[in-house]
Amino acid sequence: MSTTAPLEVMEPDTGTDSETDAPWVVLVWNDPINLMSYVTFVLQKLFSYSKAEADKLMMQVHTEGKAAVSHGTRSEAESDVFRLHEHGLWATMQQD
Amino acid sequence: MGLLDGVFDPPFRKRRNGRYTVNLSEGERQLIEDLALDLRELLTTDSPMLQRLFPPPYGENEERNQGYSALAGSELVERKFAALDVVTGTISAEDLSEEEVEAWMRSINDIRLVLGTVLGVSEDQGFEPSDEATQALHDNYEYLGMLLERIIRALSN
Repeated sequence: MSTTAPLEVMEPDTGTDSETDAPWVVLVWNDPINLMSYVTFVLQKLFSYSKAEADKLMMQVHTEGKAAVSHGTRSEAESDVFRLHEHGLWATMQQD
Repeated sequence: MGLLDGVFDPPFRKRRNGRYTVNLSEGERQLIEDLALDLRELLTTDSPMLQRLFPPPYGENEERNQGYSALAGSELVERKFAALDVVTGTISAEDLSEEEVEAWMRSINDIRLVLGTVLGVSEDQGFEPSDEATQALHDNYEYLGMLLERIIRALSN
């Protein structure tokens, strides 16, 4: 799924940081408010995970505090974070 | 509430044609509309009650968070407004499309996130209401949680 393709043109930063093309990872963090069933449902809907895969990731979020739900370029990761935030999940992104 | 309430008449039910039947009382609809309008108003502010709706994507990296927020922040608010507009625009409807049910789902979850934030909901403590107002907030929080479960169940069918 994820590639090490060059970053897309869209650059939210104006800074001149020297980006590597290492993939970005999108994390979903545990929070005490979101329902477990909701987290599973959103992961299935946004990333086409099976119910079993989404359940496993949700349980990882719940028990370990976070789980990696997608990988990709920086702009792909930002897009995934946006969609997760649109659904109220606590998502962040970082470079592997 | 009778034991079988909601079993034959769930609040959201998917029909064979892919659309959804909504079975909510006037009082429930009024409450959802009031809460949706409250959130709509809150979204025009920078209240700390909204913190769970806009998590910083780059964690501690403030510069990147601000860069992201400058680009995506207003779009995210617009999406939340749009979902709330679907809810208030279809508040009396008994028939919804899947897209509309999903807008209800996202809005109800957003409202729950704000209520949970105000109530200081945490993983490991039970809830002890300090006063009637807090009890009312908590009742709404619990009610929306139940409703959300039913929406997810209907959408998963």
